[in-house]
Amino acid sequence: MVISRLIARLQRYEGWFGVAAGLLIMVGLYMGLVTSSPDYYQGEVVRIMYIHVPAAQSAMFAYTVLFGGSIWYLWKRDPIVDNMSHAAAGIGVFFTLIALITGSIWAKPTWNTWWTWDPRLISFTIMLLILVGYLMLRTFLEDKEKEATYGAILAIVGFIDLPIIHFSVEWWRTLHQPLSISTRGVSIASDMLIPLLLMSIGFYLLFTYMLMVRTQMLYLERLLEAKRGRMLSKVHV
Amino acid sequence: MHFFNVIKWIAWKDLLSELRNRENISSMFFFALIVILIFSFSFSLDPKSTHELMPGIIWIAFGFTGIIGLGKSFLAEVHNDCMEYFQIVPAPKGAIYLGKFSGNVLFMLIVEIILFPLFILFFNLDVLEKIPMILLIFVAATIGLSALGTLFSALTVQIRAREVMFPILLLPMAVPIFIGAVEATRGVFSGDPLSMYVDWIKLLVVFDGIFMVVSFWVFEFILDY
Repeated sequence: MVISRLIARLQRYEGWFGVAAGLLIMVGLYMGLVTSSPDYYQGEVVRIMYIHVPAAQSAMFAYTVLFGGSIWYLWKRDPIVDNMSHAAAGIGVFFTLIALITGSIWAKPTWNTWWTWDPRLISFTIMLLILVGYLMLRTFLEDKEKEATYGAILAIVGFIDLPIIHFSVEWWRTLHQPLSISTRGVSIASDMLIPLLLMSIGFYLLFTYMLMVRTQMLYLERLLEAKRGRMLSKVHV
Repeated sequence: MHFFNVIKWIAWKDLLSELRNRENISSMFFFALIVILIFSFSFSLDPKSTHELMPGIIWIAFGFTGIIGLGKSFLAEVHNDCMEYFQIVPAPKGAIYLGKFSGNVLFMLIVEIILFPLFILFFNLDVLEKIPMILLIFVAATIGLSALGTLFSALTVQIRAREVMFPILLLPMAVPIFIGAVEATRGVFSGDPLSMYVDWIKLLVVFDGIFMVVSFWVFEFILDY
């Protein structure tokens, strides 16, 4: 199993992922919050971007890992890959929530509202709902193999649905009224770009670190359950 | 067994058993009726706001009806221990999916067609020349809802919290269908030219295609367990 071996090898260095993520995020935060200049339009509010953008990127990355892992699981039936997908979904919920909350905090002073029916906001919220649905579905299934298969099916359908949701919501907004918020074509200044890049890489590393730890935890939980089951059967037999 | 025969026989079996006990269709129908009544109470509809709200009300009623009907789609099979037969029957698994799906589309369309005259009555709609277009939208949206609903019904039918999980999984993923159906219905009722809302019908058709293909492919894995 190529992927299991890759995961095992990565897990050997998981501590380094954590250390590197911590360092990058600390430097990135310092540069972003202290040394970078405030935005011409938005002023100091722009600094929330250094958390918001990397969190959103990591959330989407988590969903991609979940999708890839699900296809791989249906194909090869490798339980470690299923553990990884399961872990990615949980961490994806975490990063999606961070992105939504920081976005909301940013929106209040900038757009003067906590929430607006913008395509990105809607598709991100629906992504959160799909991830939570995935985790809920898994908790209701007893059989481990069934849990993995049904979860994988749900994740695949959900991942294919996301771009459709995004575009349908975008059309739904744009056909009726002009977009109140459009991305400005202004290129980003380098003293803002460097901390943003550092934070992005830091968050990706943090995601990988969390993924490794959580995958291992789920594996150990499964092992424990199996052993407990064996012990119980010994007692009863 | 021949691929299309499997589809035909499963849909026929569902239709026959439904005609004999009328359990699903009658509960779907009355549920939708109640939804419509509650909406008319809660919004105190006057002729002006009716046109604005009506497409949304129609599709909320049909969507919830779908939850009642589609969610039960595989329940009879589980109660009668037929899931095992589906697993061992020498027929393509995708055909079983398409059979159940066709039955579901049929039931939902029957309920929608019975309910639609009531909508016309309650909301004073002027529709006579719009009926072909409305039917097209109904069919397109119903196919999409049933494609997802049949898959998720099979996915949730054997778990403990079936009644809760089915809508939780179905509704977020069905968002594009609801948007497309509501916008197209609104276009038809406000008398817009076809070019104004044809994109929504296209979206529905594309969605139907994608989800039928994906569900057809993954259904096999559900039956494996």
